[in-house]
Amino acid sequence: MSNSKTFFDKTSERWVRGLAGFTSRRSFLARFGVVVAGSTLPLLPVARAKAATAPESDFERYSQATDDTKCDYWKYCASSGVLCSCCGGGHNTCPPGTEASPISWIGTCMHPDTKKPYIIAYRDCCGKSVCQADRDCSCDGEDGAMPSYRPQLDNHVIWCFGSSSQVYHCSTGALVGPAN
Amino acid sequence: MMGGRVAKALWASGLLLTTLCAAPIRADEGTEPETYGIATLPLPAPPHRFITMGGFGSSTFTIFDGDSGKMEGNISAGYIPNFASSPDGSKFYVSETYWTHGTRGPRQDIVTVYDAKTLAVEKEIPIPSRALVNQLHNFGLSLSGHRGYVYAMQPASSVVWLDLKTETAGGTIDLPGCSMIYPIGDEGFASLCGDGSLATSLISDKGQVTTTKTKPFFDANKDPIFDDSVTDTAAGKAFFVSFTGLVYEAKLAATPTIEKPWSIQQAAGLPVAGTGVKELTWRPGGHQMITYHKASGKLFVIMHMGNYWTQDAGGSEIWVLDTKKHSLISRFPLWAVPTSGSAAKTKPVYFRNIQVSQDEHPVIFLLNSEGNDMVLDATTGKVIRKIEAASGGAVYVSGM
Repeated sequence: MSNSKTFFDKTSERWVRGLAGFTSRRSFLARFGVVVAGSTLPLLPVARAKAATAPESDFERYSQATDDTKCDYWKYCASSGVLCSCCGGGHNTCPPGTEASPISWIGTCMHPDTKKPYIIAYRDCCGKSVCQADRDCSCDGEDGAMPSYRPQLDNHVIWCFGSSSQVYHCSTGALVGPAN
Repeated sequence: MMGGRVAKALWASGLLLTTLCAAPIRADEGTEPETYGIATLPLPAPPHRFITMGGFGSSTFTIFDGDSGKMEGNISAGYIPNFASSPDGSKFYVSETYWTHGTRGPRQDIVTVYDAKTLAVEKEIPIPSRALVNQLHNFGLSLSGHRGYVYAMQPASSVVWLDLKTETAGGTIDLPGCSMIYPIGDEGFASLCGDGSLATSLISDKGQVTTTKTKPFFDANKDPIFDDSVTDTAAGKAFFVSFTGLVYEAKLAATPTIEKPWSIQQAAGLPVAGTGVKELTWRPGGHQMITYHKASGKLFVIMHMGNYWTQDAGGSEIWVLDTKKHSLISRFPLWAVPTSGSAAKTKPVYFRNIQVSQDEHPVIFLLNSEGNDMVLDATTGKVIRKIEAASGGAVYVSGM
């Protein structure tokens, strides 16, 4: 992957992990940029406004903005797996000695206070065996998650493609900017 | 005083020593020299054998005899492995991934062949790739066991097929937009596709591959089909179950046919379930929530109360369905089932994995959210035994 590519170029070269954290499928589609094998399906900008005005999902109703070691932290609306913030890293930091997957997936999460949507980039941290964190740090979104015939929406896939080792350790989510 | 106590103690110990030395050594007390050995597994396998795999990160398959509840043995495996048994039960196959230095170094994908009696490794078949996806239909054998199929994701979708007579990789079949393996006799395999169709890949004796697709028969956008749907390879049948609980019976063949779906909930006298996120009703769910008893045509499904998008939720009941009459035979409530372990005393226990044995008096193997196994009578639903074991990922039985 060339360094000259923009963030969205890079993200468009990955498949989206189907981790849709507690939201309806319609709003899930609104949350993600979906990429399949190099062909970009930029769902994000199109449906963003709709997502912002849609009824709050279960995740959105209960999300919080203070503790990134909990599954209900607002930036994890589309996250699944073990939170790196429980594993020596942070919500935007891989733990020491791991490798951030060059492939990331993106979502749009609503800030619980401002009620505004933001783009979140998610990356798996790879190269170490799965983080042995507290069970409460394992998040499993179901909304919009699909079997592997829709791989971009399959949260059972190890998304460490492109890393030097495809061993999964944990997942992060970093704010990119406003969705509008 | 102290000197007196010591003297008494010495006297008593001396008396005891004398008594012990005087006692005759009897051969029937188990003190004879022993020989050392290594156990083997019974072959043919007991009818209620089941094999479990732990949750994510686990790399051990554990073999149990469901009748005795005893562990028979273990198979060490690599990363996110899949398991299969040969039709005659004489060989086990494990599809697995390793890195030469544990979590780093060159990656090696292999299918390992085991003698099912000794659990000795007979062969390691190198394969070009395999999918690191936590699902069951990544690996399957043909009806005779002469071919094997490994689903791969790089991330492009493909299937590696194996010639198990020569124990070599035969080739790779590109499968864009489709995934999983549902074997069709000895001819090939079917796969589900994201556009709602069924792909059929046939492999000739010379290794030539043809892949065709049906017209879409389900809408993955509205009501996807579970990847853990079930097949009866000998009969060429498949039962594809959707998230809402629709059952599509398919005839797997060179030209497959797919019947009009019927509803699990309607079979039970309830309204057909929809896709509402606020539509609370009974729904299928779990990780391995469907199993099929071939001789009786019974489908066993783990069910839970939930809204749509709760397809991973563990269940509190097993519903037994007649696939010929499309009717409910019975419901086995599981809430009242006590489980041991301190955590289970205070929390509800959910069930996510189910398999049924294929004999005349079948039993059900259940895995729960606390990592325990249970064996149930498949006719009455009565709990026969509990087996505490670290196994929450998958369960396998012979004959499926």
